[in-house]
Amino acid sequence: MKNLSWTYARRASQILCLTGFLWLFVQTEYRGVDNLPYPVGLLFRLDPLAALADALASGPFGWGLLWPALLVLLLTAVFGRFFCGWICPLGATLDGLGRLLGRGRRAFSPSLRRVKYYLLFALSAAALGGVQLLGLFDPLAIFLRSLALALYPAYNYGVNRTFDVLYAVDLPVVTPAAQAVFPWWRDHLMAFHQPYFALSFFTLLVFLVIVLLEKFEHRFWCKHLCPLGALLGVCSRHALLQRTPKTLCADCQKCDVLCRSGAVHADGHRRSECLLCLDCTGFCPEERVRFGLYAPRRSGPGIDLERRGVVTALACGVLAAPVVRIAPSAERTNPYLIRPPGAVAEAEFLDRCVRCGECMKVCIGGALHPAWLEAGPVGLWTPLLVARVGYCEYNCTLCGQVCPTGAIKRLPLEPKRKTVIGRAVFDKDRCLPFAKGVECLVCEEHCPTGEKAIVFEEKDVIVDGAARRLKFPKVVDKLCIGCGICETKCPLEGASAIRIISEGESRRERKGLPAGPYG
Amino acid sequence: MSQLDRRTFVKAALAAAAVGSVPVIDLLAAPVMAAEMPALAVRKGTDIPMLVRDTLGALGGMGKFVKAGQTVVVKPNIGWDRTVELAANTHPEVVRVLVELCLEAGAKKVRLFDRTCNDPRRCYTQSGIAAAIANVKSDRVELEHMDPRGYREVAIQGGRFFDRWEFYQPALEADVFINVPIAKHHSISRLTLAMKNLMGVIGGSRGKLHTDIAESLTDINSVLPSTLTVIDATRILVANGPQGGRPEDVRRLDTLIASPDIVAADAYAATLFSLKPEEVPSIVAGARRGLGVMDLKRVRMV
Repeated sequence: MKNLSWTYARRASQILCLTGFLWLFVQTEYRGVDNLPYPVGLLFRLDPLAALADALASGPFGWGLLWPALLVLLLTAVFGRFFCGWICPLGATLDGLGRLLGRGRRAFSPSLRRVKYYLLFALSAAALGGVQLLGLFDPLAIFLRSLALALYPAYNYGVNRTFDVLYAVDLPVVTPAAQAVFPWWRDHLMAFHQPYFALSFFTLLVFLVIVLLEKFEHRFWCKHLCPLGALLGVCSRHALLQRTPKTLCADCQKCDVLCRSGAVHADGHRRSECLLCLDCTGFCPEERVRFGLYAPRRSGPGIDLERRGVVTALACGVLAAPVVRIAPSAERTNPYLIRPPGAVAEAEFLDRCVRCGECMKVCIGGALHPAWLEAGPVGLWTPLLVARVGYCEYNCTLCGQVCPTGAIKRLPLEPKRKTVIGRAVFDKDRCLPFAKGVECLVCEEHCPTGEKAIVFEEKDVIVDGAARRLKFPKVVDKLCIGCGICETKCPLEGASAIRIISEGESRRERKGLPAGPYG
Repeated sequence: MSQLDRRTFVKAALAAAAVGSVPVIDLLAAPVMAAEMPALAVRKGTDIPMLVRDTLGALGGMGKFVKAGQTVVVKPNIGWDRTVELAANTHPEVVRVLVELCLEAGAKKVRLFDRTCNDPRRCYTQSGIAAAIANVKSDRVELEHMDPRGYREVAIQGGRFFDRWEFYQPALEADVFINVPIAKHHSISRLTLAMKNLMGVIGGSRGKLHTDIAESLTDINSVLPSTLTVIDATRILVANGPQGGRPEDVRRLDTLIASPDIVAADAYAATLFSLKPEEVPSIVAGARRGLGVMDLKRVRMV
């Protein structure tokens, strides 16, 4: 086993990439500068599936953002699925966790591998029809989403509670050591506020299912389900980097059992399935296995697909669009569908958003939360501003900075301050001066627009039989941008007496209506 | 920047939980201050370090308030994500020089914090106070983000608005509490001055105080009296307060007010807005309930 060096090199690359991604992830937080130097969204610029999603979405292709992804595709055409074996953070996580959990060695029918191609075809057809679901299955999105919405919040919670316990029990050595480490840890490796998200549990569940599939088979997800793997598989069909010997050797057959991707067969080496882990160069008892660049050859097994399956997948995808479109749009049925500032018009937003959760992670006010059905069935995991929980900070532009796909445009501060994401409306049955004859004006105090969008009028009213002069708040529509701080800070318990609705949002296309009470 | 010393707090919290008691602050036991005319210093000047030193000098110097080895809390207003020229937060230079005076007087530790309205990180940075404090370069000074675990419920005997509320423990524990607000317009309390600045050291849903701002502010000030009040009126906000955002709402007055009497300081500050002290309800309530003197004729100008 002399050629283990390749295995070590591959592992080193995986650990390095994973650590790099985690580092970027932790950097994706406000730390005193308005412009993030290293947002984790950089990761998606490498993601060919994000590029495909962007190409299939309406609007021009984001060359400026996504050229690294095209480079990955080009390299894949030469080297094969190196991304899966050497770079992908989800792949590395599965390799690592699978090792910890113990893996199954169940041999599934090779036909199961077709599922990922069918999934890719169905999702692409749906995307062409105008329903973008690629992000739900994009491994990078899954990785970041699980991290942002479930694992990182849980980690923060766990670390905080652990340090609490250590201080409370005051163990010798351990407690002083923890006390010494904590400030640095807190300032560099933790979130400033404990993150909370509505869909944490569900997000974690999906992640756990993908991890637990390792119990069936090594890299089950990558082999059978991952649409990014399928896309890279298609591109590496004629990769120049090829393995010799191409087939199983008559005297050994070890590759058949040990290959994690089941890429070595009696009929040849399937470049589309090979994750380039290069383990076979190490475990080959005769040291016969070599990888090298060869002139393109048409020989060798192709991607094993059935026409019937392909047609079914495409048909399903094509059908998805009209079926989704015949439902009333969430934009119309849900007045509380508030998107972050810079979000493009709803239809394009749903097309572009890859559901990576970065905007929610970086949101300084804790305002952005993943949607469940609030944005319709295809809006799962897209960011919603839930103003009762948190508000959009007036001087912050972070969500637009981290969005990898332009679903949330990057806005400079001045235009951001003028971007209307909704409008505040009072519930006068609950608002204190109206409902109880008591002063309040907390909303007016917090309203951040220089010339306040919440003003007040003093009126003489009769409260419980006595005349009182009270200040009544009022929203100035043309100044309100819907940041939601009024809803967050409203001191009433339960529902706020002032709520943000999507009325007047800048991103909505309007035709022919004059500005005024309708807009 | 660091938070509340966790060990101290957790232990205290556990101890409190074990005893199951809430510490009681009795208003009636508070010392009566009316016997002597309180001193009030007002100075004008464009050189802020000199202005701060002059004003404090008129009161007899910081040494009158801070003794060697004491723990001092300096409480500026850092409530808003606004830059210096918008006059929403206490001027960073005023804060810095006060901190230096405390250190010169031998303070063991000077702690600064505020429960901000916008994101605390943004407020500390944008206000310029983080940078100003970093310039002091002393390990005896700490500008801290407030620890959510640092609040403790205190019973307020004789309270008119509430009988108990959460207070930030480090503020209660400090030997010296220096209240350093900026003078601003405010729709509900008319002005936000030193008495209202204490809202930055209480927990809970603070908006509730708005339903009776005068009595509630008097309640919290009775729990946590300010050793010294320094009102920053180098520039004041005359409209769209308390967070402002428009340069046209800012007036430059180059003025600093200081007094051991919080009501007297607030009363004088009201006059800068062409208001009589009796037109600001919290000043009236504070004076009526013995927090200080609002009649500026009964104040010793120094």
